Amino acid sequence: MNRTRADELQTILGQGGWDRAVAILQRLDPTVAADTFMSMPYEDQQVLFRRLPIELAAKLAPIFPYYHTFVLLHSLSKDQMIAVVEKMNPIERSMFLDELPEGAWQQITDELSEHQPAASLAGGVSISVQDRAAAPMQPIIEARWIEKAFQRPDGGQIQVIAPTNLSVEPGVIVALLGPSGSGKSTLLRMLSGLTAPSAGEVLWHGKPLSESTPNAAIVFQSFALFPWLTVLENVEVPLLARGVKHAERHRRALRTLHSVGLKGFETAYPKELSGGMRQRVGFARALAVEPEVLFMDEPFSALDVLTAENLRGELMELWLGKKIPTKSIFLVTHNIEEAVLLADRIIVLGRDPAKVRADFRVPFPQPRERNSAEFLLYVDYIYKLMTQPELAAGPPAAADREVKKSYRMLPHARPGSIAGLVELLNDRGGKEDLYRIAEELLMELDDILPIVEAATLLSFVKSEHGDIELTSSGKAFAEADISTRKVQFREAALAHVTLLQQMNSALQSKSDHSMPVELFRDTLDEHFSDDDVQRQIETALNWGRYGDIFAYDSENDRLLMHQPNLADH
Amino acid sequence: MALFYGLLSLARYWTAPVNTQANIDLNPSALPAYALFSVARIAVAYFLSLAVSVIYGYVAANSAKAERLMIPLLDTLQSIPVLCFLPGVMISMVALFPTTQLGVELGSILLIFTGQVWNMAFSVYSSLKSIPREMLEAARLYRLSWWQKLVQLELPHMAIGLIWNSMMSVAGGWFALMVCEMFVLGNRDLRLPGLGSYLQTASNAGATRSIVWGLIAMVAVIILIDQLVWRPIIAWSEKFKFEQVEASESPGSPVLNFLRRSKLLSRIASVSVAPAREALTLYFARGDAVPQAAHHERNLAKWTSWILAALATGGVLYAVGKMGLMLTSLARSDLRDIFWGAGATFLRIELTLVLAALWTIPVGVFIGLRPKLSAIAQPMAQIAASIPAPALFPIVLLLLIRVGGGLGIASIVLLLLGTQWYILFNVIAGASAIPSDLKEVCETFHLSKIQRWRKLILPAIFPYLITGFVTASGGAWNASIIAEYFRFRNQTFSITGLGAVISRATDAGNFPVLLGATIVISAMVVTVNRLIWRRLYTLASTRFKLEFT
Repeated sequence: MNRTRADELQTILGQGGWDRAVAILQRLDPTVAADTFMSMPYEDQQVLFRRLPIELAAKLAPIFPYYHTFVLLHSLSKDQMIAVVEKMNPIERSMFLDELPEGAWQQITDELSEHQPAASLAGGVSISVQDRAAAPMQPIIEARWIEKAFQRPDGGQIQVIAPTNLSVEPGVIVALLGPSGSGKSTLLRMLSGLTAPSAGEVLWHGKPLSESTPNAAIVFQSFALFPWLTVLENVEVPLLARGVKHAERHRRALRTLHSVGLKGFETAYPKELSGGMRQRVGFARALAVEPEVLFMDEPFSALDVLTAENLRGELMELWLGKKIPTKSIFLVTHNIEEAVLLADRIIVLGRDPAKVRADFRVPFPQPRERNSAEFLLYVDYIYKLMTQPELAAGPPAAADREVKKSYRMLPHARPGSIAGLVELLNDRGGKEDLYRIAEELLMELDDILPIVEAATLLSFVKSEHGDIELTSSGKAFAEADISTRKVQFREAALAHVTLLQQMNSALQSKSDHSMPVELFRDTLDEHFSDDDVQRQIETALNWGRYGDIFAYDSENDRLLMHQPNLADH
Repeated sequence: MALFYGLLSLARYWTAPVNTQANIDLNPSALPAYALFSVARIAVAYFLSLAVSVIYGYVAANSAKAERLMIPLLDTLQSIPVLCFLPGVMISMVALFPTTQLGVELGSILLIFTGQVWNMAFSVYSSLKSIPREMLEAARLYRLSWWQKLVQLELPHMAIGLIWNSMMSVAGGWFALMVCEMFVLGNRDLRLPGLGSYLQTASNAGATRSIVWGLIAMVAVIILIDQLVWRPIIAWSEKFKFEQVEASESPGSPVLNFLRRSKLLSRIASVSVAPAREALTLYFARGDAVPQAAHHERNLAKWTSWILAALATGGVLYAVGKMGLMLTSLARSDLRDIFWGAGATFLRIELTLVLAALWTIPVGVFIGLRPKLSAIAQPMAQIAASIPAPALFPIVLLLLIRVGGGLGIASIVLLLLGTQWYILFNVIAGASAIPSDLKEVCETFHLSKIQRWRKLILPAIFPYLITGFVTASGGAWNASIIAEYFRFRNQTFSITGLGAVISRATDAGNFPVLLGATIVISAMVVTVNRLIWRRLYTLASTRFKLEFT
């Protein structure tokens, strides 16, 4: 209903017409305006919200879901936020505040009362524009319109990262969150100078990378220690590279090892250590050079839960206690709770190609409690943000996207997992909070998201604002026996999955009812990267075999038409 | 002292005038000196190959442009039987140093070198290419100098592969040595004092006792080298293993333990190696400085690489042109010989492989399924395999001539000697790697013997069998050159075959035929590898792999 208006708004934003967009929203009925506003990409919402006149912001804010309002408010400067809250209709304001979880309520009331004098002095209305960018510090790293694209052998290009602006300021931990394969690591490598962007530039202290030697260190997911060197020698590697002499090098390496709790392990080899200890060596090696920015690429993902928690705690102790001279930490992770636990600022990345979907501060103080209300509020918020289907952001390039749409990326999920999710939902009465399901199954968002996407694609479920709900066909699927299920799966798959439709019709039209898979691989090749093609074919084969759409002869890499009379009798 | 004396006598000998009719002393007391000469030859050739392979692999792995040319070249060179190089190498070396023994000596070393270097270079290249990305990133981010990167990352990472390939290469070196220490080139009979020439002379003279002594000396040398050199190095290289957990069992070596405990050695190392390494690394360290001359250097590097590429292309074109000219002088009868010979040799080799498989599969499986037996049999098979086949040829020939039976049978026996061991110990390894739960499944379902072989044993050993076949097939092509044509007590035995064509051409100094035959044999080896072995290998590593990932 509001789609066309939202699209129109989107187009205007794509052309940079922020003021025109504000004007349109002002003309609309508040509920419609709020709805249109909500249907836009989050990244645009934040920028737009900052540009709204106080009156309009105060009118729209109570209409949004409370968590949304809370985070949007905190994307403003403090004064501006207070101004908006004060401008709200008193009844609506108290309704909004009542809805908030306790911790968040406490926080926002504190913030309001803290600033009461200043706000009343200023009359609560006149807020200067400068306040918005409250005393911006000189960023250490500044990325300007950096992007990454890979050349395909056939001459086409695959855009991995859309033009992105990003800066890293001193004194903060920045977390870069995103689903796997979204290009987080590539972004990290571009910022650290390991890979050059295809376009745009990265500045360190205002100077391009080619003219400066950034003092950076990376902690890797795989540790990347040299197995033939002892712990001490590993830590000495970067110091040796900087030409630090033997005695001094030794002293510094020992001191760093001491600070990460590895005293007594100097002469051990990495393979003699547990995963957690190995990552400590990784930290020690990174910290030995006293880096200005410490990059961390999923540093805790290879560790078990307890070890990871312990190491996170120790890292925060070093950071908060100012025991390391590091000015900023840039953390890449797909673990939402980890991001909320550690970071002062969270950047959420979208996929295909990667772009910033949201960039906000986490304002509450360290150390953070995992079960505090505000913690959960943020976790919930990010969940909702990430599960909300991505709307096409940025300037629309219609013709290009049309082609892509016909080849929607198949979510990499097995039919068994889809059936499991549907059954679980059915047991829960057909509707559940996604965050709860993930928590209960001890799955990370990254693992569960493709399953939900797949179930949505097959229209077994629909998801909205982080809730997922069973559809009628989903309910029928959940309650069916195995052979009926296969029939239903086949119908759903053939109705909704382009690739499977193509495979099916190709098989039916060929006289020998057989088809090389290579053909489909080639077709997909034009739209996706090699890894993605591999994954999609794998998924399609899985689905097609499960739904008895075809049989697959792995030896000859061919699809064979499934012959029902052979299989059923 | 002994070492010094040895070096001195080697030097004196090398500068001596060339002797075309060296008298090989068949007295067993001469054997230690001959063994020393042979080992010295192999050692020099080995270190040469080591240096060349590291440089070759390093350049190929670090330059995408060079890689495109160097790797296919390596692939082709690897499949040319080493003995095809013999006449060319020898003649050019003798021409370079016509008056001293050095020419022949260098020729033999160069020949051993060509037998050793390719697989080592390939190993260096593929290890460098397989360094995990994050490690390379760590090296870049922390700005390791090329020297520090080489010492702390690249050399350690290539160590294990290089060591195993070195062992294989040295075994190949013995093979080449046996032939190139004594051979006839046109009208010249060139001999170098060494174990190979000793064995050949002994068998020519029919001196059975001397042959036995020679063989004992050779096995002793091979075992000594294994124990004193390779075992310690393998035990030492354990630390370069790229594993996340420590292996419960790791190879040990008493010699290495002795060396490690030696206080003198560690003191020598601490005053010489360690400071030198420190100084070098610090010298190359870039510190915090921004590389400034990078632009200029890159320009220079670009120019040098252009010039090198131009020179290389020019050289290749010139060589191809020369070869083309040479090939035009081939008579039609020569061509017929070559192609008939190629067919005959191909069939002979395939027959040999089948024969080898027929006896090694049952025996290997029998041994492999019994852990105690395989603990004894495995090292014995390794020793048997380490004796270079040419060393045994005279004996086999002697026996066969006594028993009767022509070179037709003899050549197949000779090929078998050179190939069967690779298949045998691969089958043993495969059979002993069958998981016991799969064996138990066969037990519980009471599978018959035939079913057990079809459903479990053959599929399980398939990948190992293919590995064995690939090595064996390469070895067989190489061995065919000496197995099809033999000079024995001034008589020449030969049968139809490409190997015989090559040997005859070598003897007669007929270069066009030699070149044509070499091209055909290389083309056949490459084709067979591509068409048969590589496909089977892919099949083995996908469908028949005992893994569920």
